Amino acid sequence: MGVEALAESLGQNILTTTLGKLIGWGRGNSVWPLQFGLACCAIEMIHTATASVDIARFGSEAMRASPRQADMMIVSGRVSQKMAPILRTIYDQMPEPKWVISMGACASTGGVFNNYALLQGVDKIVPVDVYIPGCPPRPEDLLNALMILQERIKAQGITPRS
Amino acid sequence: MIADSLIVERGVSAGDAWITVSPESAHEALAALKGEGYRLLVFLTCVDHLADSSRKWPARYEVVYQLRNMETLEQLRVRAFIDGDPPHIDSVADVFPPADWDERETYDMFGVVFEGHPDLTRILMPDDWVGHPLRRDYPVGGEPVEFSEEHETWQTAPPKA
Amino acid sequence: MTDTDTGTIGLGVTVTKAGEQGAFGGELLTINFGPHHPSTHGVLRLIVDLDGEQVKRLKPIIGYLHTGIEKQAEALRWQQVVVVTDRHDYLSPPINNLAYALAVEKLLGVDVPPRADALRVIMSELTRIASHLVWLGTSGIELGASTMLMYCFRERDTILDMNEEISGFRMHTSYIRPGGVMADATPRFLEMLDSFCTKMPGNIDEYEALLTMNPIFRSRTIGIGRLPAEDAKVLGATGPMLRGSGVAWDLRKKMPYSGYENYDFEVATSDMCDCYGRYLVRIKEMREAVRILRQALDRLPDGPVNVDDRKVLPPPREELETSMEAVIHHFKLFTEGYSVPAGDAYAAVESGRGENGCYVVSDGTHKPRRVKFRAASFVNLQPLERMALNHMVADMVAIIGTADTVLGDVDR
Repeated sequence: MGVEALAESLGQNILTTTLGKLIGWGRGNSVWPLQFGLACCAIEMIHTATASVDIARFGSEAMRASPRQADMMIVSGRVSQKMAPILRTIYDQMPEPKWVISMGACASTGGVFNNYALLQGVDKIVPVDVYIPGCPPRPEDLLNALMILQERIKAQGITPRS
Repeated sequence: MIADSLIVERGVSAGDAWITVSPESAHEALAALKGEGYRLLVFLTCVDHLADSSRKWPARYEVVYQLRNMETLEQLRVRAFIDGDPPHIDSVADVFPPADWDERETYDMFGVVFEGHPDLTRILMPDDWVGHPLRRDYPVGGEPVEFSEEHETWQTAPPKA
Repeated sequence: MTDTDTGTIGLGVTVTKAGEQGAFGGELLTINFGPHHPSTHGVLRLIVDLDGEQVKRLKPIIGYLHTGIEKQAEALRWQQVVVVTDRHDYLSPPINNLAYALAVEKLLGVDVPPRADALRVIMSELTRIASHLVWLGTSGIELGASTMLMYCFRERDTILDMNEEISGFRMHTSYIRPGGVMADATPRFLEMLDSFCTKMPGNIDEYEALLTMNPIFRSRTIGIGRLPAEDAKVLGATGPMLRGSGVAWDLRKKMPYSGYENYDFEVATSDMCDCYGRYLVRIKEMREAVRILRQALDRLPDGPVNVDDRKVLPPPREELETSMEAVIHHFKLFTEGYSVPAGDAYAAVESGRGENGCYVVSDGTHKPRRVKFRAASFVNLQPLERMALNHMVADMVAIIGTADTVLGDVDR
């Protein structure tokens, strides 16, 4: 009798899950972005961090400037020829697991500027997880991209990225 | 007004007064204009007249200086036409300090060598970049876009600009 | 100092060449404020020589955001160039559009109707406030006042909503075009503008309450980044950099355009010549901008918003059903575009940073030969060394912030 009651009360207070789901839940809900604001999209990224849109609700409270302390690089803005090696170095300095959101048309494909000076898409040098179109995209678009990325992170669990 | 001997031509374009000087006397003319009160160099740039058939141009590159007198609010555009590969002209960075970076940018984009500039290096493009992007025979670059009207001619150096 | 280090990324610290002695007997230390930095307002790289904590030499390296906008403009038609003008000084897009539109209108020889002028003034002043709000918010958070970011961007959101109402875009509106403006102001826009003008002075009072008498802010900005008036004039600075040194030079007053001579406003100046003086200048400019907006709104004239020239602007869509000529104009404008008579023209406007101008050269065809943007930030960045000399490295953030440079404008 006492054992059944014990088992019953424990059953209501203990959750069982897989390690993968737990880690995915933890990682996904605390993605810390790296401040990589380059141009106009950076201003909309700042809007995403302010009160009316508030990316902090989604766990991205700490927008770190140091790549060693960040999980996700939001490339917001156009990447010029001079900036490209620096972007790659910063990406390499981020510890695994890491993700990249390419925010805006210029970062995704070169945008309005199809010329010698810009990298026609940041995916030429780093692997991108989510692309956001727009010039610049609304702050809510960045949140949408973050939510898509969160689903992906939670689904990934503890499987290492290939 | 500065000595007429320095002025090759003068005129008005869309409400803006301009004068043309010879490249050898450009430095002297600008120093004289500064002495007369045109103390602000608004900008300094170059225009490439390759294959421009709207009028007969004395030379391919036109270096343009826009000066302003902050007391009388008059503006004057000073032009000098230069040729060569690379074209040369005297630097005015000693007369107008804002010209320092403007001349570096003009060198970077057009290849115009400014004699006497303290540090004439590339400023916008990477240091090891080959070519001068804003010249008319330098292609726009980027990715070829299918079905655009210029997609074949845009990405290669246009023979007649 | 040799310039051999653009190939290296150099985010670390290196000891500089031997022999360079500091005041305390040690060597000068060269550090790199790399292009990726939280407080440089964009991708600006500074190489700083330090003697202990004091800055002895400063060299800015730019070009990390070079976009080839001027080359791109040569490949686009005259009316398409408006789209790329938005994006060089990305904190004040309508003001850039205005500089380009004025230059092209000079060459075309057209005058826009008064309602278009008034709408242009309204959009320019809204953008001036929005740009100063970004400056205030980011400068605040860099000096530690993180509340400023939240407050300023709340108002900026209101302005961006108004932008969206009138043009469909939040930031890069491409609203002001050669020949007039994109579309007329909707009644909802005018209501939003009215309530904005009523509430904004109270909001500016809030910002002042947070910063103006704040002892930490004052001690971090008073006496820092001194730029005396003579140096500012010699180095070609314009905008708040010049007005913060006491020189009352504002293009809206001295060389007015778009009907600014009809509005009653003051030019903000400060004799302090330091970061605090420029802060006061920008706050005052926001207040004056609200005054101009109120006047423009009250006196908004009726009439068309575009010049009535079918060679430059397309006919309204209803006409396409009935008039063959309208169809031909529409076709010509949207395939080849209009041609501008050969010549060159320069038009300058006063942006939040200073004199932003556009020098346009036409060879008579339907594409520009050369479009040169006179960037206020490019020239305003050159006094940085003069302002930072002998200050502590901890003051660098305040000094970079006070120059209010937009790297898109610097690099184009």
